[in-house]
Amino acid sequence: MENTSLAHHLLLAGLLFALGLVGVLVRRNLLVVYMCLELMLAAATLALVAFSRFNRTMDGAVLVFFVITVAAAEVAVGLALIVALYRRRGTVSSDRLDVLRP
Amino acid sequence: MSAGIDLAFKSLAPRASDWAAILPELGVAALSLFALLQAMVVPARLRWLIPATARAGLVLVAVMAVTGDGGVVRPADEALFGGLLRHNLPMAGVRLVFLSSALLTSLMAGRFLAARGAGLADYHHVLLVVTAAFMLLVQSDHFVPFFVSLETAAVGLYVLVGYLRRSEASLEAGVKFLVAGGLSSAFLLMGMVLVYGTLGGPGAGDSLSFPAIARALAAGKGTVLTLAGAAMIVGGAAFKLGAFPFHSWIPDVYQGAPTPTTAYLATASKAAGALSLLLLVTGPFAPLAAKVAPALAGLALLTLLAGNLAALATADIKRALALSGVSHAGFLLAAITAAVARTDAEAFSYPAENVVVLYLLAYVAGTFLTLHSLSAVPAREDHERPFISLRGLIRRSPAATAGLCFGVGSLAGVPPSVGFVTKLLVLALLVKAGLWWVLGAALVGVAISIHYYFGILREAVSRPGEDREDAAPLEVGAVSRFIIGALSLSTLAAGVLILL
Repeated sequence: MENTSLAHHLLLAGLLFALGLVGVLVRRNLLVVYMCLELMLAAATLALVAFSRFNRTMDGAVLVFFVITVAAAEVAVGLALIVALYRRRGTVSSDRLDVLRP
Repeated sequence: MSAGIDLAFKSLAPRASDWAAILPELGVAALSLFALLQAMVVPARLRWLIPATARAGLVLVAVMAVTGDGGVVRPADEALFGGLLRHNLPMAGVRLVFLSSALLTSLMAGRFLAARGAGLADYHHVLLVVTAAFMLLVQSDHFVPFFVSLETAAVGLYVLVGYLRRSEASLEAGVKFLVAGGLSSAFLLMGMVLVYGTLGGPGAGDSLSFPAIARALAAGKGTVLTLAGAAMIVGGAAFKLGAFPFHSWIPDVYQGAPTPTTAYLATASKAAGALSLLLLVTGPFAPLAAKVAPALAGLALLTLLAGNLAALATADIKRALALSGVSHAGFLLAAITAAVARTDAEAFSYPAENVVVLYLLAYVAGTFLTLHSLSAVPAREDHERPFISLRGLIRRSPAATAGLCFGVGSLAGVPPSVGFVTKLLVLALLVKAGLWWVLGAALVGVAISIHYYFGILREAVSRPGEDREDAAPLEVGAVSRFIIGALSLSTLAAGVLILL
């Protein structure tokens, strides 16, 4: 632990967050987009744990449990929606989401 | 040492009065579980009991919420549950917004879902969970309940939007909402983490709690990262509200969602966004007012113009109403800006918080009246409701046409409807706060909105239907007629009452 500082952790979290964001914006496969969203949440969680440790306050570590629970619920509903869409349309590409148009 | 820990836990343990303060929320949560329980034990021919109990329960909870928290009137500044919750907003009105949205959604969903062979029990269960979560969200005084209730509501709304599993439009809207909502919650969480991390430290107290954040910011502890975090959080709330740069999901999702869900999204979800934004900028981020107020004013201005201009360009009723909802979000943002830039911005002795709540109540009435009347008109596909499909509605169903006129009139702000009065209150706030640019944008927005609102009415009223088979008279059920009549009357009566 001596060699890592808060800045290292935050840098890693920031990189993961940016990576996830780029994935959400660039990728067309809905499953990959969804994985990138989860990556963003995980990056935020990593920053939370780092802050909690280096600030010596427990509140952030407690919030992590809530974040993980919420993310699990979101994944359950999200995957169900994506699977239902796949059964209906036979594709999970966001280019083909074109029923709703002005 | 152990004695100290014991004492700390005792002072944080929930008291009976804490539970009493959230009695309405507990009631709604109990109703949602009861819907599931009924789904397991009630035989098929008694299925109508499920929505009926939910509606009766919501009415009871609303009575309880309005008549003063079940007899326990609380001072506004008292912390509940060891500082997790606090009643910073006028709770009776706020609860009424959410409870009435849920009730009217349930009333609309009954026939709508039955006609499409979708289950009522699950819909009501999720609807009530989301309602309870929204009601807790707007009393949060700490980021843990804020995040948890916001996400509970969001996940429930994904379900409600994608509820019609056999409809491509509903699923597509659900997935689009899921991705947009997931993105906004990731930013919200990152923002919370940055604020927590940069303001926290040994001996700094719980930097997830709103009052602690306000104290730290007032003491000048914030860095650039704190500001970035605050911006991300405000952006997350603005996404819920559907404010300008974050409104691109709104037309698609509102159009594709089942119409009752569209109505619920338009009212309860928008209300939650507006109220949580109000909570954030007047609570933890109040010391940043000098930076927040201009940013919010800019957002309000752009939202007002973007929503109205985009609504001009569409010929689908649900899409037009979605985009008009964006312009209503602009009005709400304007009122919130006035609350932040408050130089004793009290119009007609109503403080800004009350104006926001009144505006939301008027918006709930107008939106449900319009969509209720609209759902009486059959559509081949729920997501395809062009303006033309209303042609000659006045001959087919005078009741639905009257409801449409009152609803759209209230949304557009025709005097003396309640929509007009609440718009006037917001404009008065803007004058008092000296936000002239926003005021100008609001007036331009109202002028533009008259064009598309009356485009809807023109089709319904003045153009006679041709002699086709779909020009046959429409059957509007007695319940629908009652709801349309009651809401029409209330938009008028409330407007006149506030004016007097």
